[in-house]
Amino acid sequence: MPLEIKDVDTYYGSVKILDSINFNASHGELLGIIGPNGSGKTTLLRTISRILKPKVGAILLEGRDVLEMGYREFSRIFAAVPQDTTINFDFSALDIVLMGRNPHLGRLELESEKDIEIARRSMRLTNCWEFAERPITELSGGERQLVIIARALTQEPKVLLLDEPTSHLDINYQIEIMELLKRLTSEEKLIVIAVIHDLNLAARYCDRLVLLHDGKIVSLGTQAEVLTAENIKNTFGADVIVKKHALTNHCYVSPVPSPLKRQNKTEAGLTVHLICGGGEGASLMHELAKKGYKVSVGVVNMLDTDYEVAKLLNIPVVTEAPYSPISEEAFQAHLAVVDRANVVVLCNIPFGFGNLRNLEVAERALERNKPLLVFEATRIEKRDFTNGEATKRFIILKGKGAIRVKNQEEVFKAIGQL
Amino acid sequence: MVMVYLIAILSFTIVLTTAIGPVYVPPLEIVSLLGNKLHLLENASIPQKYEVIILQIRLPRIFLGLLVGLSLATAGTTLQGLFKNPMADPYIIGIASGAAVGAVFSMLILPSFLFIYTRPFMAFLGAMFTTFLVYNIARVGRRIPVDTLLLTGIAISLFLGAVLSFMMFVAEDLHSIFFWLMGGFWLANWTQVKISILPVFFSFFLIYIFAKDLNAMLLGEESAQTLGINVENVKKILLVFAAFITAIAVSFVGTIGFVGLIIPHITRILVGPDHRILFPASALVGGIFLMWTDALARLLGEMPVGIITAFFGAPFFIYLLRERKGKK
Repeated sequence: MPLEIKDVDTYYGSVKILDSINFNASHGELLGIIGPNGSGKTTLLRTISRILKPKVGAILLEGRDVLEMGYREFSRIFAAVPQDTTINFDFSALDIVLMGRNPHLGRLELESEKDIEIARRSMRLTNCWEFAERPITELSGGERQLVIIARALTQEPKVLLLDEPTSHLDINYQIEIMELLKRLTSEEKLIVIAVIHDLNLAARYCDRLVLLHDGKIVSLGTQAEVLTAENIKNTFGADVIVKKHALTNHCYVSPVPSPLKRQNKTEAGLTVHLICGGGEGASLMHELAKKGYKVSVGVVNMLDTDYEVAKLLNIPVVTEAPYSPISEEAFQAHLAVVDRANVVVLCNIPFGFGNLRNLEVAERALERNKPLLVFEATRIEKRDFTNGEATKRFIILKGKGAIRVKNQEEVFKAIGQL
Repeated sequence: MVMVYLIAILSFTIVLTTAIGPVYVPPLEIVSLLGNKLHLLENASIPQKYEVIILQIRLPRIFLGLLVGLSLATAGTTLQGLFKNPMADPYIIGIASGAAVGAVFSMLILPSFLFIYTRPFMAFLGAMFTTFLVYNIARVGRRIPVDTLLLTGIAISLFLGAVLSFMMFVAEDLHSIFFWLMGGFWLANWTQVKISILPVFFSFFLIYIFAKDLNAMLLGEESAQTLGINVENVKKILLVFAAFITAIAVSFVGTIGFVGLIIPHITRILVGPDHRILFPASALVGGIFLMWTDALARLLGEMPVGIITAFFGAPFFIYLLRERKGKK
């Protein structure tokens, strides 16, 4: 393994900040360090960049002890981008980048054409050559960050360490910088280790993640291994939903709003049943639960967003196996749940042959004199993937007295009038 | 390019300020005398009285002014770079007070025949001791945070001020100490120039070697360390030489405040923050500035030059403070 962090303990005075840290990183890898505030992320990075000296343990690069290297030699191999990049002296951006040549130059040696060429290349790579001549004090936070990364690259390092390179930046710079780091690992074969605050950004771009808590590594591995709701609950103490991003298949984490943690109360006394799926019912579930209604949900496939949300809210759900059509068994169970509800809401879901039986349940509910609200934010024809079958049944529902609603306010108004 | 202008201005300043004083010496006479001495001109005839004034009185004084200005400006530039703070100056962080205490101590108790050598030496001891003291009090672990350093410097300066007052209170020859303290060049002679010229240039060169390191340290000490600089060592070396160069200046001409504060600041506006240019430029500007203020002092009936620099310097310091406040 090219970079090995072995059993590292780091102290601030007598306080142990890092406790037996062990991990490896290889060339071409973008490793993200995540964890709550005070978990030791920055300390870990500062230990690797030798600002802090570990009390115990070793850091090896290709088998060589990093802690034994001379200052200049070390900085020809390791480059660091600090968290705070504010500079109060008006050097030009190019001057700043050229300082990256320091470890390669003698004390009184001037930068040669070759050094300027290396600086130019770094600045092109980080897309900041266009403001080479501008004073660093006049650049925006994002532009300055690019310049500081260019300076680090001008050191021609093998390992690049970054402390929250995207914090305080707007989203386009966040993406630009993370894409850049990705490129540096895949094209330049650098080892990049970055402390990243934003879990979703970390998940999206890092090859592997190190999750720190109280100075210890809690989890280490791919984003799917590390970013579990359980890990995040244990370290950050926050309730989150972890989902796969539809487009990129990366994990993404979203916090559960705090009122959800309350158990449902039955002040309103009414039980509202939602027929949903595909995430169409999630928000309504949440709102109903907040307002104190009892909620039940039916038939959704396991792993569906609505399923996950219902689980989080402790709402009873009638489920079906993932990607499977509704079975007779689930259908019967669904009917039983609907029987106990006071109101049934049919969400704005698309219909295929797999969930057509949910429409049938809605029809049965009407027959049993349950008030039925049908959510129609999108016209049924557009949600119908059953060659008109769903549309036909939907129209029947409306004919039998279903109340049509277009948004959540109308749902609450209708329920309130019951 | 700036350096060429500055050297040209320096040459003019040498000639013009030599002309200024209680006795006016025509600049042309000065040029021909200098040309003669440097074997550039042949057989120029200069009146005897001018030759004595120029060679024995004015020139040593002017060169000492140049050396002192250069020293104070270099020390100021070094400290401002080290502490990333345009308010730092050898006087503010106590180095100059330490040197003054050392020098006054030598004036009080040491035999006068050794005067010319012991005074700079004692001043250096005083400056080093103060630097050591301030450094260690301000130190937190292995690091020296800027704010504690400035505060410690001010506290130590106040204490040393009391020590100075005490020494003056018990001194027999109060007058000479008092006038020396206010800072002036009227006792300048060639011996002082000869003693100080080598150490001053040596220190300047040594400090200059660290110009690139100082540039990197302006971006933050941790950044500098990741650029391969042994920050703590560089700080120690630079502090020692800033103390040394300050002590030389103080021991010959007393306390001339604010040069180390104003000059680096103004020069930075002129040439930018790169220490590779800033050091030589501010050294020259410092020299030129002090030569002119001393010329002014001569015209004002040998007023101590420290008074003049303080008249310029203190308002400037307040202006800097306001400027910072405005930015925040």
